[in-house]
Amino acid sequence: MKNILFFLMSGWLLILLPAQAMAVDGDELLKQVDANLQPQSYEMYRKLINIEPDGRKKEFVFYTAKKGKDKMVALFLSPASEKGRVSLRLGDNMWLYIPNVGKPIRITSLQSVVGGVFNNSDILRLDFHVEYDVKGVTDQGETWLLDLKAKTRSVAYDRLKMTVDKKTVQPLDIECIASSGMLIKTLHYSDIKDFGDGIVRPAKLMTDSPLHKGYRSVMIFAKMKKREFDDEVFTLDFTPRVNELR
Amino acid sequence: MSNQNFSTVLGIFLLPLVTVTLALAGGDAAADFEFDVDAFEKKPLQWGGYIEGKFEHFFYNKDGALYVLNVGNTDRSTLDRATGTLQIDGSYSAGRSSFNWLLKGAASQDQEEYDDWADIFEAYLRLRPTDTLTVEAGKQSYKWGTGYAWNPVGFLNRRKDPNDPNEDLEGFITLESTWIHSFGSVVESMAATVSVLPVWEDINDDFGRENNINLAARLYFLINNTDIDLIYFTGDSRSTRYGIDFASNLATNFAIHGEFSWIPHATRAVLLETGELLVEKTSSTSYLLGMRYLSEQNVTTIVEYYHNGSGYSEEEMRRYYQLVDEAQGAGEETAATMLLEKALTVSRSGYGAAQTGEDYGYARITWKEPFDIVYFTPGITGIVSLDDHSWTLTPELLYTGFTNWELRLRCSLLSGNAFSEFGEKATESKIELRVRYFF
Repeated sequence: MKNILFFLMSGWLLILLPAQAMAVDGDELLKQVDANLQPQSYEMYRKLINIEPDGRKKEFVFYTAKKGKDKMVALFLSPASEKGRVSLRLGDNMWLYIPNVGKPIRITSLQSVVGGVFNNSDILRLDFHVEYDVKGVTDQGETWLLDLKAKTRSVAYDRLKMTVDKKTVQPLDIECIASSGMLIKTLHYSDIKDFGDGIVRPAKLMTDSPLHKGYRSVMIFAKMKKREFDDEVFTLDFTPRVNELR
Repeated sequence: MSNQNFSTVLGIFLLPLVTVTLALAGGDAAADFEFDVDAFEKKPLQWGGYIEGKFEHFFYNKDGALYVLNVGNTDRSTLDRATGTLQIDGSYSAGRSSFNWLLKGAASQDQEEYDDWADIFEAYLRLRPTDTLTVEAGKQSYKWGTGYAWNPVGFLNRRKDPNDPNEDLEGFITLESTWIHSFGSVVESMAATVSVLPVWEDINDDFGRENNINLAARLYFLINNTDIDLIYFTGDSRSTRYGIDFASNLATNFAIHGEFSWIPHATRAVLLETGELLVEKTSSTSYLLGMRYLSEQNVTTIVEYYHNGSGYSEEEMRRYYQLVDEAQGAGEETAATMLLEKALTVSRSGYGAAQTGEDYGYARITWKEPFDIVYFTPGITGIVSLDDHSWTLTPELLYTGFTNWELRLRCSLLSGNAFSEFGEKATESKIELRVRYFF
C-alpha cells in the first residue's frame, strides 16, 4: 500500500513539475511587452487619423516625451486649430494646456481632446504593467492571451484582453473592456518597424469601437528615440515651453 | 455708414463662408496612412493664428439703464453688426531663447458706425538657461486662477468675459522669472514665479496709479494630486492683496476647484443716497468654488459660485439705476444732461463693469458628440445674479468637423426686473454666428 502511494505521488510530481516550469510568468511577460514597445524615457512623433463612416478624415500630429513609469507630455503640432496645445500626465493626474488660455485645466483619461475613438488615456498611455495586473495567461499556440485587470479605478479601462505574439513578444490586439463587461474598443498593432537604437516595434495602431460604429482611428508612430529628460519638464509650469524640447 | 467699409467687413465675413463651401465640396484628400514626419521638423520661425468673421443681431432693451448710457437716442430696436478679426501669434527661437508675440486686429461695421482697432497683445523675450529656470521680459498675458468664469486671485489678469472665458486677452509689460522643481514625494513638484510690473506713462497705464513699480508672486505646489497656488501682490498702483487657489480630481470624472482672495485695503467708489460719489476703503474678501463633472454620455457640467467682496449690494446698484432713470425722465434738457453725465461718471467708477454685484452663480453644460455626430458640441451657459435674481442664458452649437475650421452659432437671452443687473443691460437678446479659420 505504501509503495503504491509512493509511486502515485511520484507520478504526480513528475507530471506537475515540468508543467510548472513551462507556465509563463504573466507579470514578467507584461513587463517584457512594455520594454519591447518603448524605452523607459523617449521622445517620438505621432499622427492620429480619425476616419468617419463616409471616409472623411481629420488628422492630428503631436510630439510626445515620456520619462519613467508615469510622466508623459504630448504637444500638438497640427492642425493649426490645435497647435500649441499640450496634454500632460503625471501618474493619475492629467491636464490640458491651451495657449493663451492660462492655467492648464484638469482632464480625465476617458475624455478625448481630439474626438474620435482614441481618448486621452490612449494618447498618454503609461506602461501596461504600471496600470494593470495580470490575472491569467492562456497559451494559444503562436500567441498568448493575457487577461489584465486595472490596478485602480482611475485607469481608463477596467480590463484588457491582450493577444501577444510569441515571436516578437509584442501585442497584436487588445480588447478594452469596461467594468460592466462591455467592449469599449479594440486596438490592433501592425507594421513592425526598426526605429533604430534597438527599438523594433509596431508603427501603426488602429482602433475601432462598437460604441462608434463605422468610425475608426489610426495612430502612426515615427522618430521614436531614447532620450532623457529632467523631471521638471513634466510639470504644469513647463507646459508652455514643451516646444523648446524639440 | 460707409459703403466701402461695410463691403470690406462683409467681405471679410463672407470669405470664410465661401471657403467652407469649397472645402465641403472638395472634402479631405484620402492620403492613406502616410506620415511625412520631416515636414514637422521644428523651424526657428513659427507662426499661425486665425481669421474670423462674426455676425451679430442685437435686440435692444430700450428701458435698460445701460441702453440709455451707452446707446443713447436711436429709433431702431435692433442692430446688425459684422466684425472681421485677424489674430497672429508666433515665435522665433534661437538656442535656449525665443521671442514670442500675439497680435490682434478687428474691424466692425453696423448701421450706426464703423470701428477698427489693432493691438499687440503679447511681445516678450523668453530665456531658458536650464529646464528649471525661465526668465521672460515684455508684454505677456496673465490668467492666474482656477476658476472658469471669474478669477478672484487673478491679480494681474485682465477682466474676462464669462461667456467667452477662453478668448485671448491683452497682456501687461512685466519682467518675470519662474523656477520649477520636482520632488517626486508627497510634494510632487513646485514652481515659484515672481513678476515685476511697472506702471508709468504709456506703460501699463491702465493697470492702476502711475509712477509705481509693483510686485506679484505665485507659489505653486502639486501635493497629493491637488494643485495649490499661493499668490501675493504688492505695490502702489493697486492695494496689496493675498490669494490662494486649488484644483483637484475627487474622482476620474469629477474635479473641484476654488479661489480665495483678501484685499485688506480695497477701494471702491460708492454712490450714496445723497447722490454723492464717495471713495471708500474697506477690507474685501472674494471667493469662488466650482466643480466639473463628466458623465458617461460625455456631458461636461461646470458649476461655480462667486462672491465678489468688492461688489455692490442690490441696494447700491438700485441707486445707480435710479439715477439713470431720473436722467431719462428729467423734463428739462440741461438737468437731463447733467444727470446723464453724472450717471456716466458713476458708471465709469465701477458700476458699469460686468458682474459688479456681490454674488453670482455660473453653469455651463456641453455635450460632446451627441448621437455620434463627431466634432459637434451643443452647449448652454447660464449666469445668475444671486442678489437680484436676474440672469442670462446662452445656448450654442459648435462644429469643428472641417479641419482648421470652427463654426459657432449662439443665442443670448437676458432677463430681469427693473433695477436688476441683467434687466438693465443695453440688449435683451442677441444672435451670433462666428466662423473661424485657423492657419
